[in-house]
Amino acid sequence: MKCEEIAELLPDYLQGSLKAPQDHLVEQHIEECADCREDVTIWKKLSLLPSEQPGAGSRERFEAMLDAYQTGRNEKPSADREKRRSVWNWLRSPAGAVAWSAALLVIGIFAGNYLGSKTTHSNTGQDEIAAMHTELTNMKQLVVLSMLQQQSASERLQAVSYSRREDQLDPQVMSALVHTLRYDGSVDVRLAALDALSRHGGQPQVHKGVVDALQEQQSPLVQVALIDLMVEWRDPDTAQRLRNFAQTPNLNPTVRQRADWALSKLN
Amino acid sequence: MKEQERAETENDQAMKLAPDEDLMLEVRNGSGATLGVLFDRYHAPLFNFYSKLTGDRTLSDDLVQEVFLRILKYRQSYQPGTPFRAWIYQIARNARVDHYRKTPRHISFEPDMVAPVMPKDSAQQLEETELLHRALMQMPEEKREILVLSRFQELRYEEIARLLGCELGTVKTRIHRAIQELRQNFKQLERGLAPREAGPAVVKTIPPRRFENEM
Repeated sequence: MKCEEIAELLPDYLQGSLKAPQDHLVEQHIEECADCREDVTIWKKLSLLPSEQPGAGSRERFEAMLDAYQTGRNEKPSADREKRRSVWNWLRSPAGAVAWSAALLVIGIFAGNYLGSKTTHSNTGQDEIAAMHTELTNMKQLVVLSMLQQQSASERLQAVSYSRREDQLDPQVMSALVHTLRYDGSVDVRLAALDALSRHGGQPQVHKGVVDALQEQQSPLVQVALIDLMVEWRDPDTAQRLRNFAQTPNLNPTVRQRADWALSKLN
Repeated sequence: MKEQERAETENDQAMKLAPDEDLMLEVRNGSGATLGVLFDRYHAPLFNFYSKLTGDRTLSDDLVQEVFLRILKYRQSYQPGTPFRAWIYQIARNARVDHYRKTPRHISFEPDMVAPVMPKDSAQQLEETELLHRALMQMPEEKREILVLSRFQELRYEEIARLLGCELGTVKTRIHRAIQELRQNFKQLERGLAPREAGPAVVKTIPPRRFENEM
């Protein structure tokens, strides 16, 4: 038998999954052929390499991560807050957004006409109309957001992971992600959004969104992830923000420690 | 009280025997503590995988933690019926690729790693082990990975094919080529010759392959 034919059988032979009579063929061949024999020898020799053992602190690090994660997840909003939140959620939902944007538009037109007829030289009316324009632009964005506003966290997670497939993000999707990072109710979704955003640190909008998010986050896990990302970006102005953040009273000790560590890295 | 304790021990026992997939489903349903059992099962093999691949113990430690954090984060994307081992190695590969994307590695490989604990054996074997280690490290990471997966992680070729997203036949061919290269590196080292440098930017040739449901 030739080496090429043996080559097809050799990998199975090495894993011991070759059956008779093929294994005999291989054995016969390697007795005659030095190169193939050495292939087998080197494969066997690999067992000399010891298996690398993780350091002793590995389990503790894992426990700390798990703790931080669960603390973050168990912070359930109180019933009262829940109620207020549902109104807020309605306002933020696409239907709510359309409704209040339309309302603003009507108020704006009335106000504009009224003020415009009274004081022709005042800019207030125009400002009002400019504001309405912004409002309408925001509506588009809110429609994109609706994708991220599904009831179930796993669907929102899916939306975030879809966005990760694109190398270039539409600015609206980007701001939707920043929004998710800041306000999503689920720690998982916020973390996933941060993950997705971490690739777009070059965008000023993303950069600002991430830095701003730090002050608002309640979950230690998200806080730590944000701090880590800031260290990665190595941006001098974040140092000041971090310093302020590290002063926050009642900060989780792990997070404070992380912030101190980050500051030592950034300075 | 005692009964409760006994029930807990029984529960622990059952958990220790449960298949990975069942445990992962519990994690998926919100039991973070169950992840500890999976950590116990997988953190050492994963550490060994990363360590053999990168030669960097600190990085390997970080990557192992990253894998378990990702499992928590993306636990909802674990589909019942997916072999857990395949899933975790998929995450492990993606974590490594993402790491290199963020922090391009140093090209030269002279690891500042702590020397691995060598088996206490004859001086000759010690030397052989050292040469073998070097020969392995001189290979491009892509080829080293397939050897590490099959020889040290003891993944079946079918599992590797699924992981790398290629045909079974391709895996076998690549394994064979990797062995041949290792053998040549080893011989050259034995003769005291420096083999050719491993090419830079190896990571480009290992695209992360993600499951359809993305993680």
